[in-house]
Amino acid sequence: MPSFLLRRVLLAIPTLAGVLVVVFLLLYVAPGDPVQEMVGERADAETIARLRRELRLDDPMPVQFAHYAGGVLSGDLGTSYITGRPILQDVAERFPKTLLLAATAMVLAALVGISIGVVTARWPGGLLDRITLGAAYLGISFPVYWVGLLLILLFAVTLRWLPPSGYGRAQYLVLPALALGSRSIAFLARVTRSSMLEVLGSDFVRTARAKGLVERTVVVRHALRNALIPVITVLGLDFGYYLTGSILTETIFSWPGLGRYVVNAISRRDLPAIQGSVLFLSVVFVAVNLLTDLAYAKADPRVSYE
Amino acid sequence: MRIRVLSFAVATYAVAACRGGESAPQRSSLVDSRDTYDPRSLDPALSTDVPTGRAVSYVFDGLTRFTPEARVEPALAERWTISPDGLTYTFHLRRGVTFHDGTAFTAKQVVRTFERALNPATKGGRAEPLVPIKGAAEFAAGKAKSISGLDAPNDTTVVITLAEPLAAFPKLLAMPVASIVPDSIPADFGQHPVGTGPWKFVEWKHDDYLKFARNDKYWGGAPATDTLTARIIPEPSTAVAEFESGNVDILLIPQGETQNWEQTDEKQGMLQGASALILYYVAINTTRGPLTDARVRQAINYAVDTRTILKQLMSGRGYPTPGVVSPILDGADTSRTRYAYNVAKAKELLAAAGHPNGIDVELWHSQDATIARLSQAVQGYLNAAGIRTKLVQRDASSAREAARKGETDMTLKTWYADYPDADSFLFPLLYSGSKGPGGNVSFYANPAFDKLVLAARREQDDAKRAALYRSADSLAYADAAMVPLFFYNDLYAVQPWIRNFKVPTIFNGQRWTDVKIAGPEQRP
Repeated sequence: MPSFLLRRVLLAIPTLAGVLVVVFLLLYVAPGDPVQEMVGERADAETIARLRRELRLDDPMPVQFAHYAGGVLSGDLGTSYITGRPILQDVAERFPKTLLLAATAMVLAALVGISIGVVTARWPGGLLDRITLGAAYLGISFPVYWVGLLLILLFAVTLRWLPPSGYGRAQYLVLPALALGSRSIAFLARVTRSSMLEVLGSDFVRTARAKGLVERTVVVRHALRNALIPVITVLGLDFGYYLTGSILTETIFSWPGLGRYVVNAISRRDLPAIQGSVLFLSVVFVAVNLLTDLAYAKADPRVSYE
Repeated sequence: MRIRVLSFAVATYAVAACRGGESAPQRSSLVDSRDTYDPRSLDPALSTDVPTGRAVSYVFDGLTRFTPEARVEPALAERWTISPDGLTYTFHLRRGVTFHDGTAFTAKQVVRTFERALNPATKGGRAEPLVPIKGAAEFAAGKAKSISGLDAPNDTTVVITLAEPLAAFPKLLAMPVASIVPDSIPADFGQHPVGTGPWKFVEWKHDDYLKFARNDKYWGGAPATDTLTARIIPEPSTAVAEFESGNVDILLIPQGETQNWEQTDEKQGMLQGASALILYYVAINTTRGPLTDARVRQAINYAVDTRTILKQLMSGRGYPTPGVVSPILDGADTSRTRYAYNVAKAKELLAAAGHPNGIDVELWHSQDATIARLSQAVQGYLNAAGIRTKLVQRDASSAREAARKGETDMTLKTWYADYPDADSFLFPLLYSGSKGPGGNVSFYANPAFDKLVLAARREQDDAKRAALYRSADSLAYADAAMVPLFFYNDLYAVQPWIRNFKVPTIFNGQRWTDVKIAGPEQRP
């Protein structure tokens, strides 16, 4: 296991180096000049020229890249062109909030989605199965911003049970987590159901039942565990996406997370902020993928990374 | 991030269902919902965006300031005198004013503040309002150790000499970048600002909210309410929901929801409007192809029915303007003869200019929903008149850059006045020295116009000055360097428990000092 971990971490290095190069290049070929954004609506050519010099934007591209890569390697993601704040500090301030939202949405989705999947697989074709199947289709098809606005209108504006948006105590977390997790709930329910159906029809389940195990033990202990691999894949992928910035959810619920930070940085052409946060998010994504792989081994002893 | 897709119908229904008895807010803080993104910084020297400018106007004071009606009035300067040649301004400062940290405000800080804002090391990039001061340009370029036109003969007097007379100068001093900062500026000043303003800075949660507390010692009288919170709400539909829930006190009505609010009785009562100093226009690059001919540009003006566009696409929220000076400013001429919508006339002018078969042009615009819709409408009108128009949509930053570089035939965009004066439109948008990044993306250059505008800037007599601006505006309008579409009207909803809120005409014209939350007994 340790050698596997080491190998994976080492493999991540070229991936991240690639990300670094791509992000750097993409932004330099994309239209839009960061200095024009910095100076606002009205500026003079002299100020623009001065700022370009100060930001080294007139240096040859390889020199700029070397300077940037050097900074990253020494743990410095640079300073925002717009706010003048260190990118690392901005990211560190926002990522925990994105993490909180993503984790809550994931836990919610896992609990609800897997439960629905198990129950509907146990009694396929039943009323609950048909209802949840329909709901799951809708859940997957509804765009998150639409679900989000509906949730706000129902629970905040009409019923007044929860605050419409913002960041604060637990009640602020409910609606965004629900909106963000809704797609995962639906998806997990469907994946769990089909995986469970397959497993429930297999020989070892019949054997388990034949030897007189209680149905609950058969389903939860034997079948579910074996059906979990595809479920973990979905969980891992979705969690990775949520962590890398649930832009729409954060925007609708005024959630001060990393997704909004990236969008703002893009619209203001804040190159260091875009580069720094994308790089950081790539690390997160790689880490989540690694964790997912480790979870496979945990769920299924046949999977081994030795 | 403008997601308004289906929310409309649903919002109408939900709101109709829940409104009714006024639920009193259980809070003592005023809550603003207008900011859609995090301020850049709270350091006045870095103020280039509206959220920053607004916050700066709460924490800081300038020598002058704007009223909600966009008039300039004394602030830290109690009064000022102007020399007959219009070059020297003597500001007499208010006595006994202290910063929030207890240090005294004196003339010395005015000098230091302006030097700091202009200092290249500050990297603000927007000290333009201070550049008219004599020696400021040299200082900003690092060629001088101090600003020659800036002097503090004693603690309560500041004498400013301008390089050239500029009648609008007191208005420039009311802009955020000219707000006075204290002597000690720690590295994190932009995060923890200290000023002399009506509100003390309390905390800033990035992308979430800014909080301010009443400055009990404010020279202009302490604010009527304890705290002020400026929430940052990126999605307009969410801001509407927050307002419906009573969590915020004022709401900027999104353009798309105008009719919904104006036509619902219980909502209509909460509405307050004011003319905003925002011009929507189509800049015509006067240096490109057939557009160099004034007749072609006039044809474009005749071809577009601005009144119908305003009525149908903007719910009538605006004033169709024959020129670039807002009707609420001196120098506007609302009786000027317009290019009335006339397709035949447009075709005639095109033919006279040697294009009987029409012309092909590109119209650039940003992704902003309103701008994009307007552009499509303009395209339709132009096509009908034989001006075959191709729309080019880019993100705001790219569209602006292309226009500044002169790479676009036409660009549909907005212009926000920096200060409430005819000069804030005519000088940047049409003066030949402002070409490109300065704001003149029509690349309009007319010596007669330049002469009028420069004369107006120097003129001390208000009536004569207005007349000069009027003439300049008429000249540029006749030359058709742009299609002025309309001046926008801001529309706010204000909660029934809020007293004394006035919709500001300029972004930093409302400091919330008189605004209060009515007690339950006073509620309607």
